[in-house]
Amino acid sequence: MTERESMTGPEARAREALRALGAPRADEDFRARLKREFMAGPAAGGRVAAESGRRWWHRPAWQGAVAGACVLTIAVPVLNRGPRWQLVSGAGDGIAVIDRRPIPLGHREDLGRALAPGARLTLDSGSPLEIESPGHLVIQVTPGTELSLPGPPGRWFGREVRATVGTGEVRITTGPRFAGARLRVDTPEAGVLVSGTTLAVICEPGGTCVCVYEGSVRVGEKGRPMSRVERGRRRFVFVDGRPPEDDSIRANEGVELARFRDQHRARLERAAE
Amino acid sequence: MAPGAAPEVAARSGTASGGEAPSPEPPGAGPHRHGSGQGPLSRADREAVRKRDPEALGALFECYFDRVYALIFRLLGERTLAEDVTQEVFLKVYRAAHRMDPERDPGPWLMAIAHNACRDVWRSNAHRVRRRAVSIDEHPHLGGGLSAGTNDPERDALAGERERLIQEAILRLPEPLRVAIVLHDYQGLGHEEIAAITGVRHAAARKRYSRALAALALLLGKLR
Repeated sequence: MTERESMTGPEARAREALRALGAPRADEDFRARLKREFMAGPAAGGRVAAESGRRWWHRPAWQGAVAGACVLTIAVPVLNRGPRWQLVSGAGDGIAVIDRRPIPLGHREDLGRALAPGARLTLDSGSPLEIESPGHLVIQVTPGTELSLPGPPGRWFGREVRATVGTGEVRITTGPRFAGARLRVDTPEAGVLVSGTTLAVICEPGGTCVCVYEGSVRVGEKGRPMSRVERGRRRFVFVDGRPPEDDSIRANEGVELARFRDQHRARLERAAE
Repeated sequence: MAPGAAPEVAARSGTASGGEAPSPEPPGAGPHRHGSGQGPLSRADREAVRKRDPEALGALFECYFDRVYALIFRLLGERTLAEDVTQEVFLKVYRAAHRMDPERDPGPWLMAIAHNACRDVWRSNAHRVRRRAVSIDEHPHLGGGLSAGTNDPERDALAGERERLIQEAILRLPEPLRVAIVLHDYQGLGHEEIAAITGVRHAAARKRYSRALAALALLLGKLR
């Protein structure tokens, strides 16, 4: 069966309609210009043709833009990255377990290398371990603490960072570079939002106690709205769901936090200069 | 397909006049109808085109411009875009002129380059965005690209409306089907040439054409 025989009436009419279509007329100026350029070649006078004939990604401006975008994509996250964690102090016979790797506190270089954002740190015994992101914040980890390290806040974006305290106690103090950044600390029963202050987060069997030495901190039960805890005060968030209780800062924490703050204030300010 | 590959298409596409008869109908339609009236290029002209002789290039242009522009316009349906793509096609032809086969009609080679340029447009994101944003009914350029009229305004108006409907139906076809039917019935190419241009098998080209014709008939029935 030929093509024509197998065709239905509407198909034959469609074909005739298509065949009857006229020739579209190109603009005369365009035709004449293109002919001139085609005869002369793109190098002679066909700059316009050459330009528009090239794919957009072959044009220098676009190539520059793409290259620039690539550089920015790589460079910006690198430049944005805050200073990495450094070991400030830690000595004695204790052992820190970082990402399930035991490292003696005396091995400062190994410890320094293992302190990456998100690393899980467990300090069983020995003296406290202090780490800093220069100019941003210092965290003191006391023995018996299990903590996941926050990343240092970014310089321009990604300025909210997150840490988790499973058990034990951490003391935190912030420096001038921390301004505008936020540290969120999660414990099994509480959420703590730090935006420039000195405080302690203590995870105890009965709940979480947050002691604020200076500035103010927002504290709340996990998954519920937080409210402010002012300097010199503490809030205890119970593990059994009772409403949180506020009171004065624990006396010993006031002393420890004052010492901790004084010890690192100068260092943080120097690093921020 | 790169311009360099297009001569291969011409080489595979059979005889200079097309190899296979497009249909039992006399080929009043198609490329010959849309030409400028000049005869095909002589072998000497084609050799001169390979050397980028300006006079020969001018002759090639005169011989094929209308056909190339008509194909691109019917495939894309927009005058400005058709002009841009036509310009791009002739630039590619200039660059690849030395690869043209002087033994064969450059028509299928040019059609292959034009088809590839249209395919590049369809693949581009800008085109996809534009197709979503502008419906054919709102198309500002469609009227401007229609063919020349007569001295009878009423007849011109009817013919213009008819042409608009057909073009609209063509543009609603999926791109492979659009290419198949425009190359076969509008440009008058045979299935074998179309297969070489579009890079599919002969049987597939025929099948595409059948499907395209059925779809076009359906669309025209709906649009009327």
